[in-house]
Formats: sequence, structure tokens, C-alpha cells
Amino acid sequence: MSGRIAFILRRFLQAIPILLAIIIINFLLLKLAPGDAADVLAGEAGSATPEYMAELRAKFGLDKPVPVQLAQYVGRVLMLDFGYSFRHDMPVAQLVIDRLGPTLILMVTTILLAVGFGILLGLLAATGLNTWRDNVISILALVSYATPLFWVGLMLIVVFSINLGWFPTSGMETIAAFHTGWARVLDIAHHLVLPAITLSLFYLALYTRLMRASMLEQAGMDYVITARAKGLSERRITFRHVLRNALLPVVTMAGVQVSSLIGGSVIVETVFGWPGLGQLAFESLFARDLNLLMGIFFLSAVLVLIVNLIVDILYTLLDPRIELK
Amino acid sequence: MGRHSRILAAIGLSLALVTGPALAQQSGGTLVQVTVPEPPNLASYLSTSGPIGQVAAKVYEGLIDVGDGLTLKPSLAESWTVSEDGKTITFKLREGVTWHDGKPFTSADVQYGIMNVLREVHPRGGATLKVIEAVETPDDYTAVFKLSEPAPYLMISLNGYESPIVAKHLFEGTDPRENPTANAPVGTGPFKFVEWQKGQFVRLDKNENYWQEGKPYLDRVVVRFIADASTRTAAIENGEVHFGAFGAIPNIDVPRLGEMPEIDVTTKGYEYVAPIMQLQFNVTKAPFDNPLVRKAIATALDRQFVIDNIWFGFGKPATGPIHSAFEPSGIFTTDGVESFEVDDRIAKANAMLDEAGLPRDADGIRFRMIHDLTPYGEEWRRFGEYVKQVLAELGIAAELRYEDVATWLKRVYTDYDYEMSSNWLYGLPDPVLGVHRQYHSNQIRPGTVFVNGTKWSSPETDALMDAASVENDPKKRAELYHDFQRQIVDASPIIFMHELEFTTVHSANLKNAVMGPLGVYHSFADAYFEQ
Repeated sequence: MSGRIAFILRRFLQAIPILLAIIIINFLLLKLAPGDAADVLAGEAGSATPEYMAELRAKFGLDKPVPVQLAQYVGRVLMLDFGYSFRHDMPVAQLVIDRLGPTLILMVTTILLAVGFGILLGLLAATGLNTWRDNVISILALVSYATPLFWVGLMLIVVFSINLGWFPTSGMETIAAFHTGWARVLDIAHHLVLPAITLSLFYLALYTRLMRASMLEQAGMDYVITARAKGLSERRITFRHVLRNALLPVVTMAGVQVSSLIGGSVIVETVFGWPGLGQLAFESLFARDLNLLMGIFFLSAVLVLIVNLIVDILYTLLDPRIELK
Repeated sequence: MGRHSRILAAIGLSLALVTGPALAQQSGGTLVQVTVPEPPNLASYLSTSGPIGQVAAKVYEGLIDVGDGLTLKPSLAESWTVSEDGKTITFKLREGVTWHDGKPFTSADVQYGIMNVLREVHPRGGATLKVIEAVETPDDYTAVFKLSEPAPYLMISLNGYESPIVAKHLFEGTDPRENPTANAPVGTGPFKFVEWQKGQFVRLDKNENYWQEGKPYLDRVVVRFIADASTRTAAIENGEVHFGAFGAIPNIDVPRLGEMPEIDVTTKGYEYVAPIMQLQFNVTKAPFDNPLVRKAIATALDRQFVIDNIWFGFGKPATGPIHSAFEPSGIFTTDGVESFEVDDRIAKANAMLDEAGLPRDADGIRFRMIHDLTPYGEEWRRFGEYVKQVLAELGIAAELRYEDVATWLKRVYTDYDYEMSSNWLYGLPDPVLGVHRQYHSNQIRPGTVFVNGTKWSSPETDALMDAASVENDPKKRAELYHDFQRQIVDASPIIFMHELEFTTVHSANLKNAVMGPLGVYHSFADAYFEQ
């Protein structure tokens, strides 16, 4: 147990230089984009005087050389001050934290749905290899993997919102109702159904195929033959031995994809008007709102590091031979 | 106008009384408006950005209001008088108006709002309001504007969208750029700000103490933000949203929605912004320094074709730098202005290019160029493709370049690193505000967007604009602008394509949703749901 705690502590220490490097690289990359926040703000305003533009740039600190801007930014982040979004007239930390909740709701639901059903379907397909069950699952997985997300989302809206009227088209809550307590939870769940299905369909297909392949690979291993030779039932072989080993690649993949889910959900957030981080990042990029964008990148980086740590710990639970060192 | 509408309302009311039990206005209900994109903040005193105005205009008011035909109507000012020399304007303010936090509205708010906030931090305020030297407040309900020179464009810019009056007690002693009201506005308007769930909605509730007796009729206005165009269409079709303006519902869906009995479509309510779609040149770059080349391209393009096939029929061919919305004031003219509407476009244009001394080479190409596309949506891309085809018929090989907003703005307004670009600018309610910025030589200001990006400079047109900006006699002023239109079109530093028509889509049972030229930049004080 103490080995595990030491491991976690060491990982946290390692995270600091990684985060610092991420901040610096992101900052420099973003600076390569032509145009700045003052251009965009004035562009949206439709007109501006030169004095106004100069004042904006001075206020945003854009009139200083890039190395000075970088040093000041890193200095602030070390004090856990993520700066101010002049575009939103709000501290970055507050903006990002407001969006974190909806992002996590969508992300966690999607991952649970995708991994859960992906494993189940992959298992069903692998155990019924080359039967109708396997064929149907494989074809469905292929179709949903190949269909663009935005199209799936819009079709679900057309069918279930406009034609059947079962679910709302967009948003996270019924606006005019202002529910509280359990009514609010149910309301959010009601709004969550379509976006979560849309987003998880894509990943579901991925996990199904991965699980199926992984199961088939494990089924050919020597230890399975040994197990069969010592007279274990097929059921026990599948669930006790093959499944546990086959899960490892799926868990690895899920860990990697949690990070891409934050960025990958831009499309789903846009189509369903879900107030998540992806959309905020997308808007801030086009608005050149660098403080906000850097704040979001930082948070994503932290989330990725945490998820990777959790995945490493999960490995040891699935396969006791793996040790945390 | 005000009297007319009252008479009409009276007739309507008596008809209603005769024909049935329905009353003219019914109170109650929540109006859901969709706005795109989500505004970064609600500080309309800091930015004229469209989405900000769509929400903030429900909360803030100006000294005056804008009526049909760009006329002036009383708002926070009950009445006003302009002195003989045009340099003193005395406003009689409305009594008994309170801010949403309960404090009374007085002339001190007008003074502080104009002099310390709008003049200082508003993007256009520095230009529009700079003639105001002082605002005097002899008593709580009188504000006297002292101007350095006559400013015929000033009055109309004092409306609630362009020049919102903010509360002195909330701004005094603070930097207006970092005032907390940026995200929680406090105004005098018909709706009070309640909350903003970023990424989702802004909630505005009825102002029970509103100075217009009995108004607003709606209990609540909720402004939703939905980033995807198809979802917005679905939401309005489904009845989840009741109102969307400024292309919130894409043109491609508008004709279909317009045929549904429960949805109405209007192109009214955009006279204030009067946008013109244009192709602009960097007139310092050969061969576009030659007016003949610019006019050849102007001749070759078929404006009606573009409107019908790319803009889904929404638009009207433009004739010059001034929008036809200025027809009632006499400023707009086509008299003596060169027209490019000819029958054999391509042949004429080719002849002009031959005359300009640009022969075709062995491949039939006169010259190569890059056409930059303004990054404001799909239509401009398709327009670019159309222009490319027409140019090919003239022997001009054009390449299309599409960049994001910040990159494009920098290219056109900072680096002038372009030859020809599509663009669209608001005409705004007076040429001094919306038109001069594109043509005056003192508006060539690198780094400032939506000013003179063509580098067009002419002492003659400069003189006309200078004279018109201080001319208080409407007739003489109109003549100056007539001359201006003739000279600009004759030189064509910009090709005027068409006057853009935006659509507002709303539920059919939502009445009075669009009131006057400000459209969605107006409050919903008069809007109501017919049950």
C-alpha cells in the first residue's frame, strides 16, 4: 500500500515539469496565429478608433514583447492565477469552472455508456464468432464508426425531437422552468439523452471492435488451452481468464480517449447547445482570447494526467502481475 | 409616426371590440430569443458587437428612440430643443424613472454616462460624441449638451443600442472597462437582468416599475445560445424558441419555415444598420490602381443573379456607397450616379480591360490575382466562387483565399496585404457614422478595423464629407452627399454589390416583436403573445 502512495506522489511531482512545458509550448503556438484579441473585439464591434485599439492592446498586455508576456503568464500560473478574460470581463478560473460541471456530466456518461456497452457487445460478438450475432454487431459498429457525429446528432434531433417530441432539441435544462432539486436532476438527464447517445455511439463502435479483437487474440493463448485442459467450463474461461486480460487494451484506449473527449465533444456541444468546455475553447480560439484558452488547456492537461494515473492504478487491479513502481 | 401608430392602434382596438372578445395586448408569458454567437459580455457601452446589443437593448435605454424612417422618438428624454447655431441641445428628461436597483434616474446619470463612459470607452463614441464638449445639468431633469460644432448625425446616435445611458452611482470612481455590470447590467429598460448561465442563457424579468404604463407585456425574456444553425432551426420549428434575428435561422431554412402557419418571417428591422455587401480593392496595387479595371469588374458582375442564387432572394442591388434606407431623408440618390446594370456585361467589361491596356496572353489570361473572402459564412464562399467564374470570362485568373476572422482583419486593415476582398459594412443611421470611415483619407489607420481599407484618398471627396458633417441644413447636406455618391461610383474604389437583407423569424403568435428600424436592437417593451 505504501508503494502505491509513493507512486502517486512521485507521479504528482513528475506532473509539474510536464505541465510547465505544456504551458510554454501552448503559449508559443498560440502566439503564431495572426491577429489578436483586440482585432477580434473591434471587428465584432464593427468599428473602432485607433486610440481605442491601442488602449485595448495595452490593457491586454499585448503591447509588450512575447518573452515578457510569457514570463508574466508563467509567473502568474505558478501562483495559481489564471488571469482575466477581457473578452468575457470575468476571471478565467471562474469561467472554466462554470463549464467544468456540464463537461464532466457529458464526458462521464459517454465514457460509461461507450465502455460498458462496448465491452458487452465486443464480448457477445467474440463469443459468437461468425454467427449472425457477430455479423450484426460488427456491421452496426462499422456504420456508427463511419457516420459523422454532427449528422447522427441532427438526425436524432429530427426523429426524437421534431417528429416524436420525446426529447428537447438542445440545451442542458428547460430554460423557462427553473427547476430545483430532483426535478432539476431529471430535467438535466432528459436533456442529456440525445447528446450522450450521439457522442457515445462513435466510441462505442471503437470499443466494440477493440474488445472483440482483444478477446479473439486472448482466446488463442496458451493459458486458455491449459485452462480448457484442466476441465474448466467455457463460461469460467471466458469470464475469469480471457475477459480480464482482454480488458487491458480497452482500459488503455479509454484512458487516452478521455482526453480527446474534451476536445472531441466540440461538435456534439455545438449541435446540442451543451454548455461545455469544448465550445468555450473553440470560441476563444477564434476570438484569440489567449488567457482563457490557456486556462482551458491547463485544465485539460491536468485532467489527462489524473486519468492516466487512474488507468495505471486500474491495471494493477485487473492484472495483479503489474506493479506500481 | 407616433401619433399615426396610436391612431392605428385605436382603430385596431375598436375593430377588435366590434368583432370579437380578443383584446389588443395580453400580458404574460416567457419569450425565448435565440442569439448567435453568445455575446462575450453585456457591456453595450463598451462594444457595439451585435449579440451584445441583442440582449443589452432590453435592459438599457438611450435618450431617444428611433422610429420608422429613421425619425427621432422620445425615450429617457421627453423632449429636446436645438439652438439656432446647432451647438446647444437641451434635453428635458423624463421624471419618475428608476434604475433597476431602485435609485432614481437624473441628469447626473446622463452627464456621467456620456462624458465619462461613452465618450471614453465606446468604440464609436470617441468619434461620434467627440463634438460634445460638456453636459450641463441645471436641474435633475434637464441636460444641456454643449457642442464644439454642429453635428447633424449626433441626435440619432443617442439611442439605447448605440449610446446606452448607464447609472452614475454604479460607475463613478471605477474603470468602466472593469465594471461588474459588464456581466450583470443595470439599466432603466423594460426588462431587468436576473442571471446569465454562460454557454446557456440569459434571463431577464419584467421591470414592474417601468416608466411606460402597463408595459412590458411579457413576464420574462430568456435569450438562449445555440451554436449550431440546424439545431436553431429545429428549436424554432419545435416551439422551444420564439424569436431569432440576424441570420440566427440560416437563409436556406427561412422559405420553408415561412410557409408554416405558426411561424412568421420579416425583413424589417434592419434599416438602422443598413448593411451593404461590397467587393473592395487595395487601390494602391496594380492593376487595381486603374479605375477602369475596377469598373470592368463592377460591370461584369450580375447583382440580381447573386441575390437570387446565393442569398436566397434576400437583398436588393446596391447603387452606391449610401444605402437606399436614406431615401426618406433625401440623402440617397441614383440621379447622375453611374450604373453598372448593362445587358452585355462580359463584352463591355472585356472591352474596358482592353482599353486599360491589359491584353490576354497565349493562354487567354490578362493577369492573375488573389480574391480574399470575408470570413462571415458560407454565402461569401459561394459568392467568391461565382466571382472567380466571372473573372475567368474576363481573362482574369483568380485564386480564392479563406482565413479566420482575426487573420483576415489583420490582412485587410493592418497589413493591406490583399488585392480584392469581399466585405460588408453597416451603413448606420447617418453617413458620418457609417460611410465616411471607408472613404475619408484620415480614416486610413493601420490596425483599426472597418475603416478605410482600400487606401482610397481624394481631396474632393474628403472636402464633401467634411462639409456634410457640419452642415445643419438638410437640403444642402443632401446635395453634398449626392455629389459624393457620383464621385465615389465614378472612381469605384469599392464595387457595391447589394444591400443585404437579414431575416427575423418568430412565432406567429408573438406580436410587435419587431418595432422600428432598430429591430432586435430594440427592447421588447411592446411585444406580447396572442393567446
